[in-house]
Amino acid sequence: MDWERPPHRGQGPGVPPDLEQVINRLRQRFSFPSMKGGAFWIVALVVLVLVVGANAYYTVDPQETAVVLRFGRFVRTEGPGLHFKIPFGVETVTKVLTGRVLQREYGYRTVAPGVRSRFVEEGFEEEARMLSGDLNVVDLQWTVQYKIRDPMEYLFRLHDVESTLDDISESVMRRIVGNRFADEVLTVGRASIAEMARQEIQEIMDMYHTGLQIVTVKLQNANPPDPVKAAFNEVNEARQEKERMINEAQQAYNERIPKARGEARQTVTQAEGYATQRINRAIGETTRFRSILDEYEKAPDVTRRRMYLEAMTEFAAKAGNFLVLDSGGAGVLPILDLNQVVRQWAEAGSVPGKAGE
Amino acid sequence: MSAMPQNLRIPVIVVAVVLGVLAAGSLFIVSETEQVVITQWGRPVGEPITRAGLHFKLPIIQKANFFEKRVLKWDGSPNQIPTRDKKYIWVDTTARWRIKDPLLFLQRVGNVSTALSRLDGIIDSVVRDHVSNNYLGELVRSEGWKRARESLIEAGLDDYQIILGEEGEADSEGLVALKKGREKITREMVADASRLLPEFGIELLDIRIKRINYVQSVQQRVFERMISERKRIAAQYRSEGEGERAAILGQMERDLARIQSEAYRTAEEIRGKADAQATRIYAETFGKNPEFYQFYQTLDFYKRYENPRGLFVLGTDAELFRYLQEREPEGVNP
Repeated sequence: MDWERPPHRGQGPGVPPDLEQVINRLRQRFSFPSMKGGAFWIVALVVLVLVVGANAYYTVDPQETAVVLRFGRFVRTEGPGLHFKIPFGVETVTKVLTGRVLQREYGYRTVAPGVRSRFVEEGFEEEARMLSGDLNVVDLQWTVQYKIRDPMEYLFRLHDVESTLDDISESVMRRIVGNRFADEVLTVGRASIAEMARQEIQEIMDMYHTGLQIVTVKLQNANPPDPVKAAFNEVNEARQEKERMINEAQQAYNERIPKARGEARQTVTQAEGYATQRINRAIGETTRFRSILDEYEKAPDVTRRRMYLEAMTEFAAKAGNFLVLDSGGAGVLPILDLNQVVRQWAEAGSVPGKAGE
Repeated sequence: MSAMPQNLRIPVIVVAVVLGVLAAGSLFIVSETEQVVITQWGRPVGEPITRAGLHFKLPIIQKANFFEKRVLKWDGSPNQIPTRDKKYIWVDTTARWRIKDPLLFLQRVGNVSTALSRLDGIIDSVVRDHVSNNYLGELVRSEGWKRARESLIEAGLDDYQIILGEEGEADSEGLVALKKGREKITREMVADASRLLPEFGIELLDIRIKRINYVQSVQQRVFERMISERKRIAAQYRSEGEGERAAILGQMERDLARIQSEAYRTAEEIRGKADAQATRIYAETFGKNPEFYQFYQTLDFYKRYENPRGLFVLGTDAELFRYLQEREPEGVNP
């Protein structure tokens, strides 16, 4: 039992060795034959020099600038490399990352940067959500890239520069978005919003002497809030549908009209063809008739008979049956086989009353 | 040191320690980020020290009070405030301030955390007053809002024009000329709050509205409004599409009718002219001897006749018989 144990006495393992013993031991260790009583002080001095030395230099990385204060007052800045300072808190060194472009993210955070960075949006909706000028709601994600241009201003003029940058960034972005229609913010306005934001944030940061230089402001995503997205997409679909309808109608127009024009030309051309044909035939026929008429007028009787019979010959060859009726009275005459008669004429090669030419 | 007589050793050490304590009590370091007020038995003496470096004071009886020299940040907690048009919104504000007069600050406030709680009270109430005195639109928009619609139109975004066109200028959201706008309201906030702050030795540099968001229930309604707006825009596009399609198809019908009828007309005119010309040609020629022409045409008909199954009924007085009977035809005009 613990409380029955006798109190611990004597040299335990945890008791520090007596100081005098240590000094004696040191003395023995460092007591060279040449050394006398002053040897101890020499050793002490060496230790002191080492401590001072360790405290009197510092190194600055390439992307850093060192700001040196002597008794709290700024004395100099130093670039990369090895530098010396007065030790024991007389000069203190603060290193500031001046060479690197730093980044703040709003409305989302990068969790695993890389070639294909992963982002988290959950939990940052409040940062992203803002009101547009038409009092609609948009979700905007953006980044601000900045550099520390002036490490002294950065350190001495404003307390907590980064969180101020966050405040100003959010405030400025909301002011700009609040001055535009949601439609513009979500579509074509992004580049101009980003540039405007960069200028405004820079102005305010300069006003407060934060020593920051805003390199770029980039708008990552600008979306309508989730519940509204579908409706926005519907508008896009409707717009495409409209285009499609117009295109289809235009296509129908383009298919039908040229065809109709072609057909129209065909109709006219056909008419012209008909006209040419009609007139030519008329000229042809009349010329022929005139020739015949000339001949006829020379010997009307004979010619007339010849023509008549020639025609009849041809006709009888083609026509079917004849029925001859006595025009004097009613009733049917015995049928005369005219075919026969005419055929006989044809075979004889002579037509009664044919003009000898 | 080792040469020091034995009897002096102790006093020397004591003096050294005392001197050290006094030095530590009379020297103090002021950093670039700090300003100091020296108080003697609690009463401030002399001017505040704003220059960085090593400074002296009397040990023990004087005390160095350090204050922040840099510009400090105040961050309000989001408040739910109704605007003048009775819209409930969350307003999150932030401000920057600095200790302008450390003496006053020391007397009236004392330290930064007390100052922040004072600022809480003052700025929150000022913000509340201004928010509830202004329309939401005024808080969201700022100078240059008038340009917004123009830039919307310039950008060729006609979606929203549909809505604007329906509602005209005096819509419910008051898309009208701005009276103040966000910056002016925040400037007024600063002015109002600053009036209360000099007595604390604090200078307020700005107040900024960091975030404005609708409260949950209002946001739901806003979403609904946005959805219905979009649906209206979509419907408008669809009907425009239908309309334009109908217009194009109508034009097509019209053009078709015109093209076809014009072609028909032209063709008929051409045919008519040709017919007329042919008729004239025929008439000129045939008119020379109509009787013969008739005869000639009749014969032509017979010649061209092509129907082997036709039955012809001839009267005995037909011309044919006259020839067959070797009789002279009559009525032949010379």
